[in-house]
Amino acid sequence: MTRKTRNFVIASLVVLCAGVGTGLVAYFGLSTSAFTAAGGPDELRFLPSNATLVAFADVHQVMTSELRQKLRTAMPFTGDGQRSFEAETGINIETDIDRVVFGLTPSVDAGDRDGSSALVLARGRFDAVRIESFLRDKGATTEQYKGRTVFTPPTRSSPAAPPDATTVPPSAPPESHSTPSALVFLEPGLVGVGSPALVRRAIDLRDGGDSVMASEPIMSRVRDLENGNVWAVGRFDALTARASLGQGMMGQLPAITWFSASGQVDSGVRAVLKAETRDDESATGLRDLIRGFMALARMQAGSRPEFQSLFESVQLGGAGQTVTLNIDLTPQTLELLTGAMGRLPGPRPGR
Amino acid sequence: MTTRPPSFTASALRIFDLSLGQMLWSRRSIFLALLVGGPVALAIAIRVATALDLGSPRTPRPGGPVLFGLMVWLLYIRFIVPVLGVFYGTSLVADEVDDKTITYLFVRPIQRASILVGKYLAYLVCTALLVLPSLTMVYLLIVPIRGGQIGSTFPSLVADLAMLVVGLAAYGALFAWVGAQFKRPLVMGLVFAFGWEPGVLLFPGYLKRLTVAYYLQGLVPHAMPNDSATSILLRVVSEVPTVAVSLVSLAGITVVTLWIAGRTLARREYVLEQ
Repeated sequence: MTRKTRNFVIASLVVLCAGVGTGLVAYFGLSTSAFTAAGGPDELRFLPSNATLVAFADVHQVMTSELRQKLRTAMPFTGDGQRSFEAETGINIETDIDRVVFGLTPSVDAGDRDGSSALVLARGRFDAVRIESFLRDKGATTEQYKGRTVFTPPTRSSPAAPPDATTVPPSAPPESHSTPSALVFLEPGLVGVGSPALVRRAIDLRDGGDSVMASEPIMSRVRDLENGNVWAVGRFDALTARASLGQGMMGQLPAITWFSASGQVDSGVRAVLKAETRDDESATGLRDLIRGFMALARMQAGSRPEFQSLFESVQLGGAGQTVTLNIDLTPQTLELLTGAMGRLPGPRPGR
Repeated sequence: MTTRPPSFTASALRIFDLSLGQMLWSRRSIFLALLVGGPVALAIAIRVATALDLGSPRTPRPGGPVLFGLMVWLLYIRFIVPVLGVFYGTSLVADEVDDKTITYLFVRPIQRASILVGKYLAYLVCTALLVLPSLTMVYLLIVPIRGGQIGSTFPSLVADLAMLVVGLAAYGALFAWVGAQFKRPLVMGLVFAFGWEPGVLLFPGYLKRLTVAYYLQGLVPHAMPNDSATSILLRVVSEVPTVAVSLVSLAGITVVTLWIAGRTLARREYVLEQ
């Protein structure tokens, strides 16, 4: 064999081994981000490409974090939202869910409020039979869509459907003013809850398709945030529409196009909030606005050490069209803050 | 003093060593490079178009794994593997006859069948070294598109790589026999690969069992596109053999045709035209 032939054989084997090795590494769950354009949690593939906001929370990490345990002791919360979710779906957020992905798209259901539709994808350990039976008992209607059973619990504003009712055609217009949430088991251990049209779209996307992972504007920002156990990325107009900010307030804000937030919750909280503006001038304006707000807050806080410590943990930064706010709340700062909240006038919750 | 002639294996390996370099650096290799480079170039173009979000919003946008399956099916199984089999397989003996160099091999103290086996091994290594890296590169470029996961689809890559090697082996052996047995083997090979096989697969009945593609598709049913009119028609009119049946049949085709080709070469008198 000549040297030229030997070199070719070696080069070919190197390419082959590199490719197969990459696949093998990915197969065993290690990162192959150098080859993948996607990034982000796998559940993103169930969100459509026109999503304007995506958010992620590692519920298990946050729920078991030292910070949460401390907060629960200091400020026991009522958990109304959690109970309401459990009452509607039979899913216990504390025990059943590992992580959650949330997506917001422009409205796809006629009854959606705020001009947007939402979908929550929860991965965890679900007793599908128990949850399905629970939903049927609650009067949820069922619909078969591409081999998946879509459950639609009755809305509070509309009378409950009989337990044995089957189906609302996909194209049927919603009768009540608020669109009911639908629930589907997309995969073993993955539940989708949200707007019925988005739930059906998620079922469509199971075998691939035009998911949000194909949206480079969102995914490029998601890739920057992956080191946090909670994060959110979205177009700013999607956020303001949801928050129903008044025209007056909107007029005061500089022209923000995208926002992102990423946080690591453990014994403390480390978070980065980032806003991208239309131009450099808007970014400078936003930085000035935040600086002014922080100065005002410092003046209000006076010499109280817990608030001084809080302000020291916040740093404003960014360059060009980007404005960043780095927050590093250490366990000591959080202890001071929870202590200060405990000293607030009025009855302490839980006592 | 007499020396013992080399064994069948030693002869085949010597021919393999000689033929591999000849195959890799022949003019045919330019064609081969274009053939296996085409899907890689296409994959790069698709990846760039996806990144730049080109194309009409109404255009169907399948996910990466679906797209990869489509490319494996249409480009590799249906086109590249048969083409390589036809062009290289038929030339293993026919080229030596056409160049009138077969005499030099026949006068060596080696078994004639070992010439064919050595050349066949060289064909298999040469084509595998080009096709398998090409498929791997296409996989890495295409699968991550629109949410595809490299990790979850890795077993299908391994199946595809193995299937391509089995396909190259079967087509190569079949066309090596065609090259050793018949005059104008290239025409016969092209008619078989692109006339007989696609035609017969579309019709119900047993004739499809006389093709290599029928057994090859049994190894990778997942790679077959299942949303086109052709695939729906194929599913209606054709049954897909099980993996075991496919493997046994392809192994049978390879061994039997290679044995016949070796036997033909050993017994046939090649008349070289002056």
